[in-house]
Amino acid sequence: MPPRSRLFANMPIKRKLVVIIMSVTIAALGVSGIASVVTDSRLFRAYLGRDLTVLAGIVAENSTAALSFEDPKSAGDTLAALRARTHVVAACILRADGQLFAEYSRDGKPGSCPAPVSADGVRFKGLELIVSHAIVLDQRRIGSLVLLYDLDEIEERVWLYGAATGIILLVSGLVALLLSARLQRVIAEPVSALARTTVAVSRSQDYGIRAQKRSDDELGVLVDAFNSMLTGIQSRDHELKQALQAREAALREAQSARDFLSTTLASIGDAVVSTDAEGRVVFANAVACRLMRRTGEDVAGRPLDELMRLVDEQTRDAVKSPDGPIAEHVLLVAHDGAEVPVDHSAAPIRDHQGNVAGAVLVFRDITERRRAERELRAAQEQLQLVTDTMAPAVTHCSRDLCYVWVSRRYAEWLQSTPESIAGRPIVEVIGAPALATIRPHIERVLTGERVEFQAQLVLPAIGRRWVRAVYVPSFDSGGAITGWVGDVSDITDLREAQAEVARINADLCKSNESLARSNEDLGRFAYAASHDLQEPLRMITTYVQLLARALPAQLDGEPKLFMQNVVDGSMRMRGLLADLLAYSEIGGDPVEPIGDVDLNGVLSTVLQNLQLAIEESGASIRSEKLPVVSGYSGHFVQLFQNLVGNAIKYRAVDAPRIRIACRAEERYLQFAVADNGIGIDTEYHAKIFGVFKRLHGKKIPGTGIGLAICQRVVERYGGRIWVESQAGKGATFFFTLPAEANESKGVTNERYGNTGA
Amino acid sequence: MNATETQEPRIRILLIEDNPTDVELFRRALGVAGLACDLTVLEDGAEALALLRLPDTEGVLPDLVVLDLNLPKHDGIEVLQAMRATTRYTSVPVAILSSSSSPRERAKIEQFRVSRYITKPPDLDQFMKIGFTLKELVAGRR
Repeated sequence: MPPRSRLFANMPIKRKLVVIIMSVTIAALGVSGIASVVTDSRLFRAYLGRDLTVLAGIVAENSTAALSFEDPKSAGDTLAALRARTHVVAACILRADGQLFAEYSRDGKPGSCPAPVSADGVRFKGLELIVSHAIVLDQRRIGSLVLLYDLDEIEERVWLYGAATGIILLVSGLVALLLSARLQRVIAEPVSALARTTVAVSRSQDYGIRAQKRSDDELGVLVDAFNSMLTGIQSRDHELKQALQAREAALREAQSARDFLSTTLASIGDAVVSTDAEGRVVFANAVACRLMRRTGEDVAGRPLDELMRLVDEQTRDAVKSPDGPIAEHVLLVAHDGAEVPVDHSAAPIRDHQGNVAGAVLVFRDITERRRAERELRAAQEQLQLVTDTMAPAVTHCSRDLCYVWVSRRYAEWLQSTPESIAGRPIVEVIGAPALATIRPHIERVLTGERVEFQAQLVLPAIGRRWVRAVYVPSFDSGGAITGWVGDVSDITDLREAQAEVARINADLCKSNESLARSNEDLGRFAYAASHDLQEPLRMITTYVQLLARALPAQLDGEPKLFMQNVVDGSMRMRGLLADLLAYSEIGGDPVEPIGDVDLNGVLSTVLQNLQLAIEESGASIRSEKLPVVSGYSGHFVQLFQNLVGNAIKYRAVDAPRIRIACRAEERYLQFAVADNGIGIDTEYHAKIFGVFKRLHGKKIPGTGIGLAICQRVVERYGGRIWVESQAGKGATFFFTLPAEANESKGVTNERYGNTGA
Repeated sequence: MNATETQEPRIRILLIEDNPTDVELFRRALGVAGLACDLTVLEDGAEALALLRLPDTEGVLPDLVVLDLNLPKHDGIEVLQAMRATTRYTSVPVAILSSSSSPRERAKIEQFRVSRYITKPPDLDQFMKIGFTLKELVAGRR
């Protein structure tokens, strides 16, 4: 518990104010109250003395007579009148000699009179007041009056005054409390507000907070001063913060730079070692530690020479650290003797005065690179070998129009060697005119396009050549176009051959045309000849017959035989001409329009035409149901009539049995006309379709055109005709008609009964 | 070349044929068939067209025209065409007597309402049958 003074000191100002005001008020009132009580008491005593003296004088006066006349009773009465004064405790009249003459007691008890006082006057004795007054008669003292007066009255007054003072104190205290409670705000509130503001500022560290000014008194000044102080603090705080932030940013930057550097050093593939001026290791990254076959803790502070040596790969002499560029053919030898080929460079570290403070050494393990180089060399040699032995002439050229590399074939084509071409500008090798010719293609391939072209080049070494080339862009690992790879073929011979072929082709076309023309002419000629020859032939035949009739009947022998021979010959010729005409007509324009031809109807026409021969030979002819095809019915009549007619004509001993069949294949209809006749030796199968080809003499009549007509008809419709037969075993003639021209004409493989005889 | 046979009833036949041997054979065939007729022969297409151009009143219409297709100057097709275009001759029956049996030739005259297409037969006996054929044709018409 704090001492009183501290207790007060720690009080809030408003309570302090109240305490002060109250104390002052109470003290003032208390002092004034006590003063007034004391004063009043003194004054009252004085007043009481005077009053009682007066009273005693009066009573003494009134008792003079009684005393002088010795009338105690009257004196007693006179004294009894004092009863009105309640504070008179007792009164007595003493004789001059001091004897009691009369007496009065308030409570009726005698003897309560005080001892006579030697002198007149007022005398305070304890809580009593004794008044003595001389009773005088004729200037002679005859007795004395003594009054005993209690001081209760004074006490009453003191109490009365005390109580009044207490009440006043209480009331004024209350009033003071109320007033002070209100008034203290005027002082205390702004101070408290200021204090709160201060606390808030110090708590929140927000120097933007301002105290509110309420008056222009000293407190107002204080608030202003406080606020201006805050402003000052705020601006300084702001500056401080900025400075702090700048410092932090700088620190972060420095840290990240440090992190970056250390990460870089840790993660680069190169070994990095830094040493101090004495050659002791200050720092070595992980790669360096690995190369030196040490751990990081091992190396720090140790002389670098103890950890590793650098020797020349070939001579094995120690290598001094170079001051800068990379030294080649260096081996790093670790403390345990392990060797690694390295690229090696070093740089001195200088302090700010330029003194050498250490060195940075950088090593690169080039084992992998050595291996890659070896493989690359092998691959290059292999590529050279392959391209040298292979046919294509290949070049690799760079953007700046120089040969990077060429295959042997290419070099030899230009009558040179790969070694003397590689690296040279293209223009030197193939000449400006040729380069100008291929330049547009180079520009295209350098845009990333694949280019293929043919061009005629004039080359210094080999003259005018046609080349065909394919250019493909080449890229570096970053995807940039570095040049192109060209596959170049000399196609001069090919071009010449092609030109020759084209020329021959044109010739062929020309002769083909003239052949077609002469073929057509021949066709027309055959038609005209066979047609026009019929007329004179008919004349010959008819008139020879007339001549024979006109000759005498007895003319027998040779003339008649000759005549008959003329008739036979002209008849035969007539048959030939008729067939030839029919044959030539197949190639020409048909008389009827192309249309659907029901082959069943065709067959019955044929059987009618051949009725006589069928009856004579006793042939039996059976056919499947035949399809409807597209074409000219006359052609199909000729086709079937020749085939069936032949089957009858070239019969064996047995009566002819002829079977006609049709089968739908995937792409064509196949017909078959089979007989049991004499058959055809396989030797003649191809020949029988030629014009005027006959296998038999006059024994079996015929012109040798029938099968040629059949072939012509079938071929006209895009079909094929052939025979399967052996001598003596019958023959089957097959022919096909394309299916697409005869689709959906209802061809089935169903078998139907025979037609014909 | 005009000639007449003297037998009843007289039938008028107009033969347009340039080949004298065939005219001779034709004449014989008519004889063989016993067809008495007045035979008028024109030797080429031009003569035939001239005949067609005669005024209506002149000349007498033939009962039958026998036409060879292979004629000098204007061929048989032209004659046939002109004949069908000439009012008087539109309904005169025409028989073609051709040396060609080719369907191509036949196809050409199909549109002209030809009564009979006869191919000149190479055989004498068959040729003589032509007379009978024409006799039937004329009889059918009368």
